[in-house]
Amino acid sequence: MTLKVLAVDDSKTIRKIVSKAFSAYDCEVMEAENGIEGLSMISNVKPDLIILDITMPVMNGVEMLGKLKGQPDMKDIPVIMLTAESGKDNVMQIVKMGVRDYMVKPFKGEQLIERVMKIVALKPKEAPAPLPSPYFFIVDDIQMLSLPGKSDRTTLMEIEVDFNKALKTMSTAGLNKMILDASHLKELNMLVIKLILAVVENCQKYRIHLRFVGSSALGTELKGFQETSSFSINDSIGEAKKTF
Amino acid sequence: MKDINKLDLKGFCTNSVRSVFHTMLSMDVSVSETNSSTELSGSKVVGCVSFTGDVIGNICVHVSKQFARVMTSAMLSMELDEVEDDEEINDVIGEVSNMVGGDIKSKLCDAGFPCVLSIPNVTSGSDFKIEAKGWMRHERIAFKHQDQLSMIDVFIKSVV
Repeated sequence: MTLKVLAVDDSKTIRKIVSKAFSAYDCEVMEAENGIEGLSMISNVKPDLIILDITMPVMNGVEMLGKLKGQPDMKDIPVIMLTAESGKDNVMQIVKMGVRDYMVKPFKGEQLIERVMKIVALKPKEAPAPLPSPYFFIVDDIQMLSLPGKSDRTTLMEIEVDFNKALKTMSTAGLNKMILDASHLKELNMLVIKLILAVVENCQKYRIHLRFVGSSALGTELKGFQETSSFSINDSIGEAKKTF
Repeated sequence: MKDINKLDLKGFCTNSVRSVFHTMLSMDVSVSETNSSTELSGSKVVGCVSFTGDVIGNICVHVSKQFARVMTSAMLSMELDEVEDDEEINDVIGEVSNMVGGDIKSKLCDAGFPCVLSIPNVTSGSDFKIEAKGWMRHERIAFKHQDQLSMIDVFIKSVV
């Protein structure tokens, strides 16, 4: 569940720094400029953690904390106090307030996160799922590679990169069948041949059963290479599937 | 009676400024030669905090507008050309003066001069001077980061 953090500080700079510190984690950071705003936000959404500055206009952190401690449903919300003053008396006063921890400014975001982790569990944000490749897709238990009609060097390099990713996916998923569909290919040049040979080599290396779909011209071309001379070309994907 | 003339104000300032610039801005600064009449010319931003208690005084951080933009981009991890909002720049300088002031105030308290700190205020514009009279001590320290100069003023007097 997303951790709710409330950052209360009259400085927008500090609120941004706090927000950025939590950006790598599954957290929602709410912001308030002073104690009154902070209490108002808490009454709407109860945070799991409060980062609270001491010196603020309208209502300072000490007063806000006092009001929090006076409310049964809010008094146990963990609070980390922020202060620009590192003096002994100030620290003693903070400790007596019953906060879970404190940070003296200046501080780095990582230092704040270290303190937070001692109080609450922080879950890293999940990396977004990679965008699907237009050339690779899985049908039933078969990895499909569909070559475009025409492609330049950049596109072919992109396909090669996606092929390496597809190999990993196949290994993880336990797939061992691939169909290379060259039926849309309009131009067979050395770059395309090079890519096909690389696919063949890797399929042999990783014991992947490879089938081709394409034109008879493709078949003739592939017969000229030792690596592909034994491959036959299927007229359609359906035909290729039957050969597994 | 405690003597504020024995306070190492220059040392307090130097340590505070170095710590704030290093931690928040990833900048190393060094003390630059100056005297009390050195001023930053042109467009500048000045953040000030006051303290009151057994001692009263002001701590002001002066930076050029250009350097303030660089500091803002460093503090907020933005590209320099993304820094456009004066409010953002003023907030950064205000927070820097708050941190420097807060650290100096802590050192004053630990030295036996209890006091409390105000909220920072920020002034920005061109060709203006901040003058303060009637203080027992005034220290002006200049700091350099690459070719950028910043200055800290500390004004202080004892009330007990």
